[in-house]
Amino acid sequence: MTSHERIQAIDSSEEIRLLTEVWRSPPGFFGWFTHVNQTSVGKRFIITGFVFFILGGVLALLMRLQLATPENEFLNPDLYNQIFTMHGITMMFLFAVPIMEGFAIYIIPLMLGTRDMSFPRLNAFGYYVYLIAGAAMYLSLFLGMAPAVGWFAYPPLADAKHSPGMGVDFYATVVTFMEISALVAAVELIVTIFKQRAPGMSLNRMPLFVWSILVMSFMIVFAMPPLMVTSIMLALDRTVGAHFFTPGSGDPLLWQHLFWFFGHPEVYIIFVPALGMISSIIITFTRRPIFGYTALVLSLVATGFIGFGLWVHHMYTTGLPHLAANFFTAASSMIAIPSGVQVFCWLASLWGTRPRFATPLLYVLGFFFIFVIGGLSGVMVASVPFDTQVHDTYFLVAHFHYVLIGGAVFPLFGGLYYWYPKLTGRLMSEGLGKASFWLTFIGFNLTFFPMHYLGLQGMPRRVYTYLEPLGWGDLNLFVSLSSGLLAVGFLATFVNVFRSLKRGRPAGDNPWDADSLEWGTASPPPPYNFRYIPVVMGRYPLWEHLKNQEVPVVTGIRSDRRELLVTSLLDAHPESRSKMPGPTVWPLLLALAVGIGFGGFIFHNIFPVVGFILSFIAIVGWFWPRQLAREAREESS
Amino acid sequence: MNGTFSVLDASKLPSHAFEHRSPLWWGIIGLIVIEATVFASLVASFFYLRSNFPQWPPDGTRSPELLKPTLATLVLLASAIPMYWADSSLKQGKTFPLKVGPLISIALALVFLAMKVVEYRDIGFRWDTHAYGSVVWTIVGFHSAHVLALVLKTAVVTTLAWRNYFNRKRRIGVTVNGLYWYFVVIIWIPLYMTIYWASYFLSN
Repeated sequence: MTSHERIQAIDSSEEIRLLTEVWRSPPGFFGWFTHVNQTSVGKRFIITGFVFFILGGVLALLMRLQLATPENEFLNPDLYNQIFTMHGITMMFLFAVPIMEGFAIYIIPLMLGTRDMSFPRLNAFGYYVYLIAGAAMYLSLFLGMAPAVGWFAYPPLADAKHSPGMGVDFYATVVTFMEISALVAAVELIVTIFKQRAPGMSLNRMPLFVWSILVMSFMIVFAMPPLMVTSIMLALDRTVGAHFFTPGSGDPLLWQHLFWFFGHPEVYIIFVPALGMISSIIITFTRRPIFGYTALVLSLVATGFIGFGLWVHHMYTTGLPHLAANFFTAASSMIAIPSGVQVFCWLASLWGTRPRFATPLLYVLGFFFIFVIGGLSGVMVASVPFDTQVHDTYFLVAHFHYVLIGGAVFPLFGGLYYWYPKLTGRLMSEGLGKASFWLTFIGFNLTFFPMHYLGLQGMPRRVYTYLEPLGWGDLNLFVSLSSGLLAVGFLATFVNVFRSLKRGRPAGDNPWDADSLEWGTASPPPPYNFRYIPVVMGRYPLWEHLKNQEVPVVTGIRSDRRELLVTSLLDAHPESRSKMPGPTVWPLLLALAVGIGFGGFIFHNIFPVVGFILSFIAIVGWFWPRQLAREAREESS
Repeated sequence: MNGTFSVLDASKLPSHAFEHRSPLWWGIIGLIVIEATVFASLVASFFYLRSNFPQWPPDGTRSPELLKPTLATLVLLASAIPMYWADSSLKQGKTFPLKVGPLISIALALVFLAMKVVEYRDIGFRWDTHAYGSVVWTIVGFHSAHVLALVLKTAVVTTLAWRNYFNRKRRIGVTVNGLYWYFVVIIWIPLYMTIYWASYFLSN
């Protein structure tokens, strides 16, 4: 901090009017396509993510209807295959990753005390890419041409000979296209976290949620490119007759290696942000500093690294050398260490406190229960002999739903209840929230716990039906009925979301007495996020502000254009002011151009070239400096 | 909130940042890391596929010729020099090199692309001949697309330079364009080592 003179920051309504004018997003239908503010884009990611969650959930219910009785004919085999494939693609690509990014995009800049992301237009571009990709996938389902090869699309089943339709072409191109969105968001989040923290928020004062998003973003940067490479290879195999995965010439196992080199970190990409949410919620509802901040940060980072060393445990039954199998067994068991450290830190944080059992905390406690069970079955399948026994059975289905729903969806719903007041200015109903939690919690366990048993009985995954004499009918019927209960539980939360928009109790700035900066501004935040950028003196800035009479802030950032403060990487020392771009339609046009390139490849080889040219035009339009002369004048003044 | 008091007057801070102080610089580093991971995946695939074949390049495909690809590589490496000259001159406020340097770089990059076209026109195998063909054509094609994008991008930067858009303060656009140019040039070295030298030695 340069000067410590106690100048009272003088506020004027004129100044606020100017700020609102400069940062506001254009209204109206056409204005909608030009929004770039992080609050706007983040909200879109979150809403779209939940829409896909509901669609994926409906697909799951259709599967459970089909499996409710033996030899059922509700869905035909091909449609069933399309549905379970789309369920996986939806939940992994269109729901879990984008919604975590959505929360990050909305919350992180507020938590850092800045006014927007580093590259607002790129942010908007990422959203349109996501929207176009998701719409294209569902279009293929409604046309009855969805991929029917599982969300992992193993060749040779996925090659042109064995899957002649367009389904896998959709998969290969749309998945590649979709990952652009994830990569864009990851780079942006990293840069925003590195360079735009409020002055004084050195790395060791960053909230744990910010740390978790940083780790997630780095994992995306290294995990998604191999997926893009391998799905492009698959597309080339199918369209121009390349031989990457042709048995005998290429190698189908190459796909599995590249896919799981992405696919396993993917699980942690979903799970790590959830860990950050848990820490935020625990701090707020116990109203005291977290136990073992450093240990938690190190565990997050360790999870990020070890997550890349596990991919082969998806391939134990493909015939690997023993040494490799041993190595990956050890690595897979090792991941339990950072997870364990975190669970114990959280337990220690809760120990001896009298937490407020509001809905967000209930979801976190639900997480503990479910995730520990998922972790235990994870330790079981990490060993080769056990895995060989239960490979491709419902035991695995049970295991990864315990890990993914318990590890990511429960904290996510906790996060939804926790941050909803910040997004909308109103609190969600506690009564309905608690009802929703208990329905979801009980429904979840009744649905998925019996699947362990079905798996040990030998019921294979991905079958559209089973024979009556096998005796799996009763348990399957029970599971199907329970899945209805689970669906009602989730539905209750969505009803709560809509009801509370109008009827919820007004939240005020900080309804939970939380510690981090996002609660230090209005709910919902004004378009410029903060009137003054706050200065941070510790890990729990709002609690420290409460103790002091006056809040230290930064003044002198211009209000007559979009401007924000850039700070240094380690210590968040103020370095410069940066001018931010305003609303524009170019991101949408670029997303369409790239979409034509990728989507058109399904139909003809010329489209990538067309897409390349259109993208170039769009990029030039995007970056071409407007009003050269005016900018030059500003320069000289 | 309680009252506020100012501890920092940001109006005294500069409104331009350079190199690692600029968010844009970090953004382009992010792009470079992503692309490097893409190329690393391709190189790993090259060696993985190799383990399926008793001979590499496979039977019926001769091992690659080394002279012309090496010359092309030198041309591409040389293209980075005028770019560096333009970038570092602009730091000292000299704008003339920025009008000429990138043009030389573009010309050299186009020569490189032309040499690749000639080379692969009669290389003797196609992407659908065998897995070796698939991976080599993909690596070369993907990298060439990068060179082409680089040429187009630099053409835009040069146009702006001729319209006197850049100066000592406003040069982050030139810096990141240069960074990306160096990246595409440098990443070619491991790719070149893989598809030419590794193929050459593995075949003997």
